[in-house]
Amino acid sequence: MVIGVTLVSFLALQAGGDPTYLFVSERASLEEIEATRQALGFDRPLHEQYLSFVGDLAQGDFGQSLSYRQPAMEIVLEALPATIELTLFSMAIALLLAIPLGILAAIHRGTAWDGSITTLAMFGQSVPSFWLGIMMILFFGLYLRWLPISGQVPFLVPLMEGDFGTALGNLPRTIFHLILPGIAVGTYSLARNTRLVRSSLLEVLEQDYVRTARSKGLPEIRVLVHHALRNAWLPVVTIIGLEFGFLLGGVVVVETVFSYPGIGRLLFAAINQRDIPLVQAGVILLAGIFILLNLLVDLIYVRLDPRMKLAEGRG
Amino acid sequence: MKLRTLGARSAAAGFFGATVMVAACSQLPEDAIVVGLSADITTFEPGMISSRDNANIARHIFAGLFSLTSEGDHVPNLAHTLDISEDGTAYVYTLREGLTCHDGEALTAEDVAYTFNRIADPENRFTGNSPGFVFTSIGFQDAVALDDLRVQINLARKNPIAFGLITEIYIHCKDAYEAMTLDEATSNPIGSGSYRLASWTRGSEVVLEKTREPGNFQRIVWRIIPEASTRTAELISGNADIITNVVPEQIEAINRSGRAEVQVVSGTRRMYLGFSLSEGSRQMPGGEAIQDPRVRRALQYAVDVPTICRQLLSVECERATGLVNPPNDHPNLTPYPFDPSTAEVLLDEAGWSRGTDGIRFAIRLQAGRARYVNDVNIVLAISQYLQDVGLDVEVDLMEWASVYTPLLHARSMGPLFFLGTGGGLWSPIYDMTDLAEVGSSTNYTQWDDDRWFSRWTDLADAKTPEETRSIIDEMLQVFYDDGPWLHLYFQPDFYGVSNRIDWKARRDERVFLFEARLK
Repeated sequence: MVIGVTLVSFLALQAGGDPTYLFVSERASLEEIEATRQALGFDRPLHEQYLSFVGDLAQGDFGQSLSYRQPAMEIVLEALPATIELTLFSMAIALLLAIPLGILAAIHRGTAWDGSITTLAMFGQSVPSFWLGIMMILFFGLYLRWLPISGQVPFLVPLMEGDFGTALGNLPRTIFHLILPGIAVGTYSLARNTRLVRSSLLEVLEQDYVRTARSKGLPEIRVLVHHALRNAWLPVVTIIGLEFGFLLGGVVVVETVFSYPGIGRLLFAAINQRDIPLVQAGVILLAGIFILLNLLVDLIYVRLDPRMKLAEGRG
Repeated sequence: MKLRTLGARSAAAGFFGATVMVAACSQLPEDAIVVGLSADITTFEPGMISSRDNANIARHIFAGLFSLTSEGDHVPNLAHTLDISEDGTAYVYTLREGLTCHDGEALTAEDVAYTFNRIADPENRFTGNSPGFVFTSIGFQDAVALDDLRVQINLARKNPIAFGLITEIYIHCKDAYEAMTLDEATSNPIGSGSYRLASWTRGSEVVLEKTREPGNFQRIVWRIIPEASTRTAELISGNADIITNVVPEQIEAINRSGRAEVQVVSGTRRMYLGFSLSEGSRQMPGGEAIQDPRVRRALQYAVDVPTICRQLLSVECERATGLVNPPNDHPNLTPYPFDPSTAEVLLDEAGWSRGTDGIRFAIRLQAGRARYVNDVNIVLAISQYLQDVGLDVEVDLMEWASVYTPLLHARSMGPLFFLGTGGGLWSPIYDMTDLAEVGSSTNYTQWDDDRWFSRWTDLADAKTPEETRSIIDEMLQVFYDDGPWLHLYFQPDFYGVSNRIDWKARRDERVFLFEARLK
């Protein structure tokens, strides 16, 4: 994973040309440019630059950010809590709203409810997140002045530092600042998950065991929740891990629009700056989180679906 | 209590709380001023600061020996006098008494010498504006404390603009910085200015707190808001007092908001179309044609600069007649008028008549993207004007930093190229030093007219300001007539300023808040 991720990002950044010019003034002399190139290590052959990075990485050294001149991983980890807050909030929107909306659409199939929800879901999957973000800023932030337009109030950082008072005190404002970017990031996933829950539930509701449950005279709500939904939302669980990765990708643009100081914005700036160590540290971290999450999801799936355990047992 | 009543009361309480919170969010305190910047800050290490935004914040933390006012005047700051030796290589500054750094350490001549020598020390591998541009330009050798209050800065050679460049150096104290590692110095500035760093949330905001005069606000909050529309929204909603880099399309929205207005200032960045006159360019299509000064002069009449400014920048630009910012420019030169008929006649006279296909000659115009205000559209507009007088222009737009910039430095762009270079208000010679020598790193055109370059010796030998001014005007006349630039405009800068405060934008891109105040 490390070799693949770092090699791809390294080559992609190098394809953009010599990054030295980003670190010198416009009036820099040729001597100054050359001195900077040497100071930053860009005078070495590409393979040497890469191998040097990988060698340091093997010892846990992710190198120094060229822009900030501080350990790259430290800078990335500083920005991580903000992105986790945004991603979790977006996931919460995507999942918690998708399930009731999907159920509503499925049980009222063919009605105005179903039509409206499905149409909204299609809209949500079509609209670009950055456009949605800007429109929400204009409407909710500027016109109505209901919600903050940009910025972030930390919750996880004071929490991790043990400052529970500050964390709890910040929580309402944290949520307030998360609403607009969270909706912008989570809308696509919400829309997709709604349609997924709807189609999955429709399929499950046709099954024999559901017909049996109804025949036994069980209340419809019990049939839905206890019997149908337990199987209908398995596909949703499957994609949660992928969902997280997708949401992480979406935060890059949204964090920039909302001036949200997370990893997405940091990486966006680092790519523009050709800050190779910072990009690689960020990409490795995100790839690692993505892989771990998918592993976790696989483990959860096994617990949710007894058939997986049986299959394991036979294997 | 009935569920419905409880629900209604809860909703009302929630709405009220939200309203209070929003109201609280929107009110800026009276003791603080909030500035929205477009780019992140990367360091507070004095030797590494290079971007304009970074420098603007740092200047509130670190004072300089002298300062440059918004009109370009050189005024005392930490030092109250400057004496320059006869041969121009020794600059002796005398500090004011009783100076201290933010940690209480007395600031003496030893600290000033330490500042200069530390920044210049190759062991530190600093790549900021100070060691790079400033020290290279002035030929810095070393700095020596003569006594507690007098420090001598030694240069390799006489330099008529060293006094202005030295104002860029951020003065800091020796004991504090010797106790820190380079990493620590990045985020723990201990300065000599009016404000100290109170907090820095990377990518989000920088908060400065006042420690001494001058300054009318107790706190300055610099918020990092990269997206232009978000910055504008924050200004209009009352969450920011000043925003930089307003895009022209949003000027009207801000001015109509009733809460803020856009201040447009004619900046000091010289925007021009360069004629690449290198041997390599001569081999390119159109390269031979532009070697002829008559062709270059003809093309001066071909571009309607006022219309470009009005339509694409939404302002009436300050037109350029050369490379020196007004009011230091040649007093008697007027901008070339838009007169395509004259352009056509002059091109005919230069021997480049229209062919049967209507084309005089083909030529390539290169430019970087997203570097200057509306640059892509401006380049396309210029190319159209040139095509209207018979040039077959191939426009080549490329990524700025790692594609276009290397071409500039390698002198392999062109034959036509679009560029803007920063200037100043404090000395015409500062603006002219872009072409101090044929081999200057900033002589991108590789122009080598002896009527210009031979006069630098005369400038250095000039005995009086009047003599200096006379030489400058003669040089500028040559540049106007036969120079390597198609003179365009000085790039306007757009600042959004809330009606809450009284602050005037400077032309030199410096955002200094020492004199900003509440209305």
